[in-house]
Parts: sequence; structure tokens; C-alpha cells
Amino acid sequence: MTMTLDSSPLSVVDALRGDRSRRPLIDIASAGGLRSLLEDGIFAIIGAERLDAPLVVRASSLQQHFATTDLSMSSAGRIRGILIGQILRLLSVGMSIDHAFDDAVAAWRSEVGVNDLMAQFDALDDDDRARLATDVEAHCVTLTRALGEIPAQWMPRSNVRASQRLAGGNVVLRDVVDLMVGTSTSEVASIALFDVTTSPLGEGAERSMRYHALVQTLRSSVMPLRTCTFSSATGETWIRDVDYELLARSVEDVLANVADQWSVR
Amino acid sequence: MTLLHRRLTKADLNELVAEAPQEPVRLSDEHRASLSARFRAVSVPGHRRLDAWGVERAGREGTAFRWSPGSARRVLGNAALRRIAHHEASIRDAVRDELGDQMVRAASGYSRSGSLSHWLASAPHSVIGLVTADAVNWASQLHEISSWLDAPWTIPTSDAYYDVASARTTLRARRDLVVRCDASRVVIRVRSGAPGKSAGPGLRADLTIESLADHDGIAPLRYIGLWPEAGVCLSVDGTIDDLRSGARDLVRTAVAQRRQRTLLAA
Repeated sequence: MTMTLDSSPLSVVDALRGDRSRRPLIDIASAGGLRSLLEDGIFAIIGAERLDAPLVVRASSLQQHFATTDLSMSSAGRIRGILIGQILRLLSVGMSIDHAFDDAVAAWRSEVGVNDLMAQFDALDDDDRARLATDVEAHCVTLTRALGEIPAQWMPRSNVRASQRLAGGNVVLRDVVDLMVGTSTSEVASIALFDVTTSPLGEGAERSMRYHALVQTLRSSVMPLRTCTFSSATGETWIRDVDYELLARSVEDVLANVADQWSVR
Repeated sequence: MTLLHRRLTKADLNELVAEAPQEPVRLSDEHRASLSARFRAVSVPGHRRLDAWGVERAGREGTAFRWSPGSARRVLGNAALRRIAHHEASIRDAVRDELGDQMVRAASGYSRSGSLSHWLASAPHSVIGLVTADAVNWASQLHEISSWLDAPWTIPTSDAYYDVASARTTLRARRDLVVRCDASRVVIRVRSGAPGKSAGPGLRADLTIESLADHDGIAPLRYIGLWPEAGVCLSVDGTIDDLRSGARDLVRTAVAQRRQRTLLAA
């Protein structure tokens, strides 16, 4: 089932919850099969060779092909994305946001200390900083309105990292899910993955949604219930129920990306 | 050596706990004296602290410690779960209560400079929010793992510490869950990221320190390291060979640290 919510009569959280009585039983059997598909596919591309440095696949690797330019991957776009990510983390624990930009910057600074992107941020002149602040405030309003309150009983976890080594370490799948709710200990599937992008949604967003679901399935051996992506630029939300077919398509996406990376080595 | 590698699933974790060796090994006073003599032979000016992370990094110095949401999450998350064990509450509320207690400690003058309470008391609103989010992440993850366990478990109130006699050396072992098994225990520790090549020696160092820190010298039956981000777990058994190997790695790390300090001084 695919739901596209362009005007939101209900919060994203309500949409993720869906109809509780129609949730499928938890699936802990598919992860092994998906891992085998990936291992076989990677062997067909790379063979038994041992690589010095692994091929790394990320959600962003699947977003676009090499020839295109994505403005969200520019420094300003990345900083904006990070700051919106920080705001989502604060919202996930019920913090009130008074000054979105200042709060997000303080949170980011406390987390990373000093790095290249922070140095670029510090080098922004007053005009650029004001432009970024306005931009972040606007995205924050869209996000806050759409998200709604996240119940603590849903066990929200933000910025959830995952890393999977495949083919003896020749390929590493890395992923960060902005927000995850639900638990793997219940008898029915309840884990929902929520991702925020500051760009409009496109074909790449669909691949990212699938990728998040695949990596989480491999990591925890439990298939998530839903995967969702939200654009704080347009307010648009895409929600997909996770099933084996969706995960198998993501396996194809990953193998295509591995083949691309292997061909340019 | 007894290093086992498994996927981190409910079934595999329970199997690792249930199939741990039955007879615990006991460290004697001679073992402690022997370790102390070896550390005394590698003396350094000032006090020395060693842990599994140091062993994994072969004694290389890391960046100086600073409090951050990431470094505070384990202390707060584990404390929050201990609260939940006594009073039913959501993880988020338990983390907030723990943060509140830390701040009260600072406000009432019971925290020293550089402590977590001290840092939290001066942190801005949004940083407290991020600390809460990170601690909730940690506690949710550990709560999920603990609810998988069939055997009864507890969350220890602190890590295991052992002061090596007359060697000005403190050893620290991380522990997040302790599963009681008759006369001994199985210890579980959780780490972020993915295990590297030196994860096994790190786990053995924790096993050795945990055994030394036990006042009767009883070693855990098994030490299990979990890497939830990678979805894998490793374990080492509390055998005398593994304990000896862990002790050797700790002494080697002390030697490597001293060598690096000498090079820096030169």
C-alpha cells in the first residue's frame, strides 16, 4: 500500500500508526534470504577478490546518478539538512522549539565539536547566515505541523545508525534513520522508519525509503512495518508498507550501485 | 581462545547465555600479585587508567574526553533503565527524571567541576534536549535487548573497577547487563559502531578486569559484547586461558602507552 499525503488531515505519526488491528505478524525469516541475495549478487560483480578498501553504499549513494547535481548535497544544503535533523531529534523527545535556528545550531555544536562542515558554517557571513536561519525556521514550521506529538510509549529513537558488512567486508552498507518508532519485541510488526529531507521528494527518495527498510531488516533481522519519507520543503509525505517485494527491489538498487562503483574502480 | 561470533537476535543471544560454561574460574591472590608485579615493572609518572578501548587501540592516546550528548548517553540511559525496574514509567520520563536528579545535584553543590552534573547544569536548553534524545536511544536499545533475555538480569550501578596494588593503575571494565547464573554470572556490554579486528582482545580485557574486580575473584562464565548498529555479538568464555590472555593484553597496552609517552617526551 502506498499513501501520498500532500495535504495532511492527520499527523504523520497517526499515519505511521495506521490501523493497529491490521498489522501483520512480525517477520524474522526474510532477513537471511535477503542477505543471501546480496552476497550472491556481490560475488557475481566482484568475485572472490579481497578489496583493500570496501565499497561503501549509503542512502545518499542511491539518491541520484553520478552525472546529476543535487543542490541538497551542497554545503548549504547539507548544513540545512543537519539542522533540521537536530530539530527532529529535539521534537522526538517532546522538547519545545522556541528559536529553531539557534536551538539547532547549539545542539549540533554540542554533538560534533569541530569538523569541516562546522568550520564552513562558522565562515558564513551575516547575510548567508540570516538566509540560512530563515530557511531553517520555515522548514521547522512545516516539520512541526506535520509531525504531531510522538507518544513516549512508541519508544522513539532518533538518528539511528546501522552498518552491515557484506562479502567478507568488501561491501559495507551504512545508514542513518532520522527517527524510528516501535519495538521488535511485540508479536506484530510495529517498527516504523521516518526520514526527513529538505529537498522535494523524487525517485531517489523512493530508493532511500526502501534502503532504510532493507538495512534495518539486515541489522535487526526483523522486518519493519512501514517506511516513510517527509519533505520539509513541500510538506509532502510518502509512506510505504514494508514487504519482501519492496526489500528485494532495494537489494537490486544496492547491487546496481555496487556495480556502478566497481566499474569506475 | 573461545571467541564466538553470532548475529544479534533474540534466539542467538539466549543461546549464548544458556550455553555458557557451567563451572566458574576463580582468580587467586597469586594471580593478583603476579599482575601487580608486571604493572609495577611498567611504571609511569602519575596515575594510569586502562580499559578495553585502550587495549583495542593498542595504547594509542585518543582525543581528550569531553562531555557531549554521545558521551553522556550511557550513564543516563542505564540509570533511567534502573529507575524503570523499580517504578514503571516510559523511557523518556525516566531519562528526564534522571536528568532532573543530576541537575539537582549540581544546584545543591554536590557535583565537582568536570562532572556530568556540572556540565548539564551549564548546558543550554537545546543541548539538554539532545542529551535526552541520545539517552532515550541508548535506553530503548538496552531495554529491547534486556526484554529478549529469558534469564533474570540486572543493570549494574557502575562499571567494574580494579586498582592494581602498588602499581598506581586503575582498570575499568564496561558492563551494561548482568545475567545471574547459579554461582556466577554472564556479563553483557553494549558498544556502538561495528566490531573491529581487535574487538576480541577488548572483550577479553573486560573479562579479566571484571574477574579481578569481583572480591572473591570469580570470573564471569561468559562475557558477551553486543554491537547493535552492526547487528552482531561476540563472546569470550571465562576460562583461565582467556583471563591470562586478557591480563597479558592489558600489560602490553601499558607498555605501549609508556613507549608512546617516552617518544613524545623525546
